[in-house]
Amino acid sequence: MVDVSKHELVPEHTVVDEDVIDAVLEEYDIDRTDLPKIKYNDPALPEDAEVGDVIEIVRNSRTADRAIIYRLVVD
Amino acid sequence: MTEVTATFDLPDDVVAVVEGTQLPRRLKNRVLRTLEEREDVTAVQAEEVAGVVESRYVDTRVDPLEPVGTVSAQSIGEPGTQLTMNTFHYAGVAEIDVTQGLPRLIELVDARKTPDTPTMEVHLQEEYATEREKAHEVVWKIEATKILALGDVSTNVADMRVVISLNQETLDERMISPETVAETIEDHLGVSTVQQGTTVEFGPEEPSYRDLLQLVEELRDITFKGIEEVSRVVIRREERDDGEEEFVLYTEGSAFGDVLSIEGVDASRTTCNNIHEIYRNLGVEAARETIIEETNNTLAEQGLDDVNVRHLMLVADIMTNRGEIESIGRHGISGSKKSVLARAAFEVTVNHLLNAAIHGEVDPLSGVTENVIVGKPIKLGTGDVDLRMGSTGR
Repeated sequence: MVDVSKHELVPEHTVVDEDVIDAVLEEYDIDRTDLPKIKYNDPALPEDAEVGDVIEIVRNSRTADRAIIYRLVVD
Repeated sequence: MTEVTATFDLPDDVVAVVEGTQLPRRLKNRVLRTLEEREDVTAVQAEEVAGVVESRYVDTRVDPLEPVGTVSAQSIGEPGTQLTMNTFHYAGVAEIDVTQGLPRLIELVDARKTPDTPTMEVHLQEEYATEREKAHEVVWKIEATKILALGDVSTNVADMRVVISLNQETLDERMISPETVAETIEDHLGVSTVQQGTTVEFGPEEPSYRDLLQLVEELRDITFKGIEEVSRVVIRREERDDGEEEFVLYTEGSAFGDVLSIEGVDASRTTCNNIHEIYRNLGVEAARETIIEETNNTLAEQGLDDVNVRHLMLVADIMTNRGEIESIGRHGISGSKKSVLARAAFEVTVNHLLNAAIHGEVDPLSGVTENVIVGKPIKLGTGDVDLRMGSTGR
């Protein structure tokens, strides 16, 4: 199989720690389910990701150097 | 989150002034770096500089309650009136047919399962990208080889036989042996073949003129080598960013997943214009990126590159928000709006109202469209701000 994460269109995906995500949710005053989603079977997901985890994605942004966004893993 | 706090050769009070602004990390670092280069900056000067940068930054931010979606829609829609409605003509790159202009833009936001003119841009690995012969090897693995490319087909009506005389040169070039041709035909058509040198012969079980013609028809559709979906591949020599030249393949037709695993293909740079194929193989983030890239290119192709990319990013964000690609429109985003009135105002009004009535839906009037319909102030901009008189007690 091809290593998807090597593709230049695929930004870095990492499972994020609970306390980090709590701080983010607090900062924006939102619930976990308000985050954008990512499917459980998404080819770019790290292997240890499970439904309910939050994934941190570091994009090479067009408007900022790097943009960090979060996606919630859903079924 | 990794906070990059670089250290700067500056007095503490200068650093404190910059750190005290509302600027994001990256801009703070830029300001600090600039101050460092200027040397001997006092805290007062630093405050002035930081103040100007900060007010400019605050100015360019989107205001609270600004209707960014509406602004995006108009900012894409107005230049969109100048797009060609013409479906396609041969576009700049490599004589390959690509849909352009308005039809392409519609195709993208509708998230069509397959685009009108699917195409891939296949980059090659180092050792394949510089030699034409090696590049051709990959081409034959991708481009679908049909029987007519390999030799002549004739029918012998007297003996009820189909006779194929293969061209040895093309066979060698595409690295196919006459035996494989014969086997492939047997597998696909279920007939027994007689192969002698470069001649392959077969016929229907029972002598029948119709069956004979039928076999010839079916024979033409068999793919002997390559990928069924890809009908044509064009090789182009292109200059890379580092000044080196390399061969890049452009295809008519796409099978992104299959191509990525072919030997010689650089699976890290190869792309495709079908957002669903990208989504299946590379995930939702890559799909988002492709939507931005494709819409941006479509507009730029027609000289409309002054549409701010943020609008296109917003569109792509919304389309991929739920972790899969959704279309804009009544089957996608607009169709999943909560408000009955907003949905009814968009398309197929009667159906929405009827269904809402049957299910006893309630409209809380929280969005824009429904409030315009009932004539209430919308909850955006100044419409969502309440003013109250009070005293400060002084």
